[in-house]
Amino acid sequence: MIKKQFTASARRARNIIWNAAGRYDFEPPFMAFFPNGAPDHYFNMVVGLVEKWLEMPRIWAFFESYGTDRRAEEFDEFLWLGLENCVYEKEVGERPILAKLRRDRAERFSVQQGMLSRQQMEYQSMPVYTQQEARWAEVLGKNAPLLTPREKRMAQALKFPGSLDTDGVLAAMAAFLKTFFRFEPSGEETPLRRGGALSRLLLRHEHRRRDRLLVRTGTGEGDHPRAVHLGHDGLGRHTAPTEEDEAYIRAVFGRSVISDAERRVLENDLCVDADADCRVWVTAGEGVDTAHREAADVRESSLLQRERNQAFLTENAAALQHTIKALATRMETVLSSYLRHLPEPSRAGQICPEKAYRLPILQDSRVFLKSGEEIEQEIFVDLLLDASQSRRNMQETLSAEAYVVAKSLMALHFPVRVSTFRSIRGYTVLDVLKSASQTDCRGVTRFYAGGWNRDSLALRLLGHMDDDPVMRGKQRILLIMTDASPNDSTPIAAMDRWLPREYEGAAAVKLTEDAVRSLRAWGIRVGAVFHGNSIHMEDLNQIYNHAYVRIRKATQLAQGISDLLLLLLREMRND
Amino acid sequence: MEELFRFLTAEGVDAALVEAARAFRRDHPAAAEDQNRVPVPEYFYYGRRTWELALAALLAGKNLLLAGPKATGKNVLSENLCALFGRPMWNVSFHVNADAAYLIGTDTYNGQAVVFRPGPIWLCARKGGFGILDEINMAKNEALAVLHAALDFRRSIDVSGYDRIDLQPETRFIATMNYGYAGTRDLNEALTSRFAVLDMPLITGEDLNKLISRRYPEINPKICDQFVRLYEELERKAESAEISDAALDLRGLLDAVALMEQGLTSGDALDMCVVNKSFDAYERGLIRDVIAARIPSDLTRDVVFGK
Repeated sequence: MIKKQFTASARRARNIIWNAAGRYDFEPPFMAFFPNGAPDHYFNMVVGLVEKWLEMPRIWAFFESYGTDRRAEEFDEFLWLGLENCVYEKEVGERPILAKLRRDRAERFSVQQGMLSRQQMEYQSMPVYTQQEARWAEVLGKNAPLLTPREKRMAQALKFPGSLDTDGVLAAMAAFLKTFFRFEPSGEETPLRRGGALSRLLLRHEHRRRDRLLVRTGTGEGDHPRAVHLGHDGLGRHTAPTEEDEAYIRAVFGRSVISDAERRVLENDLCVDADADCRVWVTAGEGVDTAHREAADVRESSLLQRERNQAFLTENAAALQHTIKALATRMETVLSSYLRHLPEPSRAGQICPEKAYRLPILQDSRVFLKSGEEIEQEIFVDLLLDASQSRRNMQETLSAEAYVVAKSLMALHFPVRVSTFRSIRGYTVLDVLKSASQTDCRGVTRFYAGGWNRDSLALRLLGHMDDDPVMRGKQRILLIMTDASPNDSTPIAAMDRWLPREYEGAAAVKLTEDAVRSLRAWGIRVGAVFHGNSIHMEDLNQIYNHAYVRIRKATQLAQGISDLLLLLLREMRND
Repeated sequence: MEELFRFLTAEGVDAALVEAARAFRRDHPAAAEDQNRVPVPEYFYYGRRTWELALAALLAGKNLLLAGPKATGKNVLSENLCALFGRPMWNVSFHVNADAAYLIGTDTYNGQAVVFRPGPIWLCARKGGFGILDEINMAKNEALAVLHAALDFRRSIDVSGYDRIDLQPETRFIATMNYGYAGTRDLNEALTSRFAVLDMPLITGEDLNKLISRRYPEINPKICDQFVRLYEELERKAESAEISDAALDLRGLLDAVALMEQGLTSGDALDMCVVNKSFDAYERGLIRDVIAARIPSDLTRDVVFGK
């Protein structure tokens, strides 16, 4: 009933939980779904109410304490019945509809009861089922099923009263397990967790050397059983990348499009302070060394991903064409409002002296000028995609979205360059999928996810890539598709500290915020297209200072991108 | 307009400020031809402190900038202020193409000569009106520069090629600006410094309760309380960017109550006035979930209004 689950409907479940909790700054440890995959509205509310009324981390720790026991799922189901009663009693006074929702839930149980097949009944834990049946029958005011004296005592014990606080609930949960299952949680960390901490220590010294580009697979629709999360096992070795690393980068990503001398100049400018231990690499994906053993693996996986991206474009061609048209239309409206309008003759407005003679002589009153329909084409758009491993469950979607944005801008004759960035072995690699002069957008299907993301360095690197003749005399706009969670295995250089710090969390966010600020100071308008979790919203806001939109699915793309463009153009116009 | 004065007194607004507003109204009656421009508000603005700050600023001859996110009552307050002071109102909606000609006036040909066709700011200044500069941050800063002299101590407008006019002493400008999600741009310093800035607070649950109860005195207080909480929950959801602020519509909530009074069920009324404000099917689902956790969909007029 209540499980850790990440499906397409999980966001709806999360929203129900957050709403009941009255807070949106936590990731619910549990979500409830019906067997058909739809969110269980009532029980998700119960989860939210536990967060509201009790201390969820302590409750969660209790659930974790028996996580390795074979009866864990059964215990979960029992204890959630107890919690349900407790938070129901606490909340119903200020939310009278809860009584109705509880009755609806009870009725749904009794309807489903009759629909369960024999096989489904076999999978069901009978003791749990009996307790649920007893609870919901009581809610509906029906006769309770026939219970043994032990079951009656269990049903009674599971009515955790609303007067309990967290300590009281924990005591009631422990007492229940002890009385009826002779189970006593140890209160210690499980062996699994201790192992995790231990392995961190062992990995400490060789960590970064083991960085390999992993390209994965999945359906690409975000329904991978676990959200992708990159963790740091310990501080990486504090050394600069070696020639061996450079050979790896060249082999995997292709030769650099800038000469070694230019790259050294770039690194002198960019790889300083916090990025002092980093290097940069700019490529167009050409010259990959297939003879290199590790590169061959990546090559194979990336080609496979390219095929998937292309298949996704083909399968969704009609919908994508519709989005391209919608986005192009919206952008045209936005751009025509904000870019400089060329003046046109009118019957009112600012008088045009050289035409004034036409008034008395020719009786022509169109001697005034007003802002016309025609506009100047004066912007250059950089579309930058975070290609780190955290994006690996949405590769096809991201590639398709980049394709849509690029196509829409090109339909309006605006030059657009599409690049990806990732960091690996101390190198931040900028891979140009589509240059501004290319008219074919299919290059964006080269997108694949793998590696880390050192957003701050990538942003500054792209900021320096200003030698394309197409962008001369144009206002640069940079749209970055991001999850606002910068993370790299190369630590922040020690500078005046004793030890380097990991490039992650608040420190990485601050560095990225500084990078965005410096780009803005150079006159580049930066906006973010956010595809991430709500828990990163604050970081997103800190880094991009309101210049962002959140996109959850492709149908929101047209509205989101045009809103963002509107915001950036408004800034541009007002400066 | 006596009702509005009584309302302010009942809300506990400083009596001296209310009396000063009354005196202003008495000393500066609107001209007969402008009476139709003096608004008659449908809703009153709730918020004692905000009222006091706004009254003090206007009585001191200052212009007012009401800044705040959506649904904080900026337009309701500005309309209430015009009504209280009994001054004709010129509402100027700003947009990206608003320019000096749109605001002050433009040249045109009347068949015999090129003449000046006055714009709303010019008319407001000549007639001592209250100019409501709606969404002022939507306009380009260079367009707003023409207002500088009108808004500062000079209180004048110099129309290039024509005349320089002085503002009537009763003239005030009340600007509104929205900020929040997607971050509308701040005004530049030169313009901001010419206003007393009032940071509009979000309406409190208590005030929203009063607002609904005053408009619909027969509403069942318990149900009214649930509507207030529903609004707060939608507000939190929009703040966390889980939904857009399309559904966060105070007017929509009040309209839904109005439709229930007409006999629609709560579900239909909230669908029309709140849920369907979003044009995204998935978002509508999220909004419906919030409503389902507060208001049963089958409430009838008899239940809602206790009839």
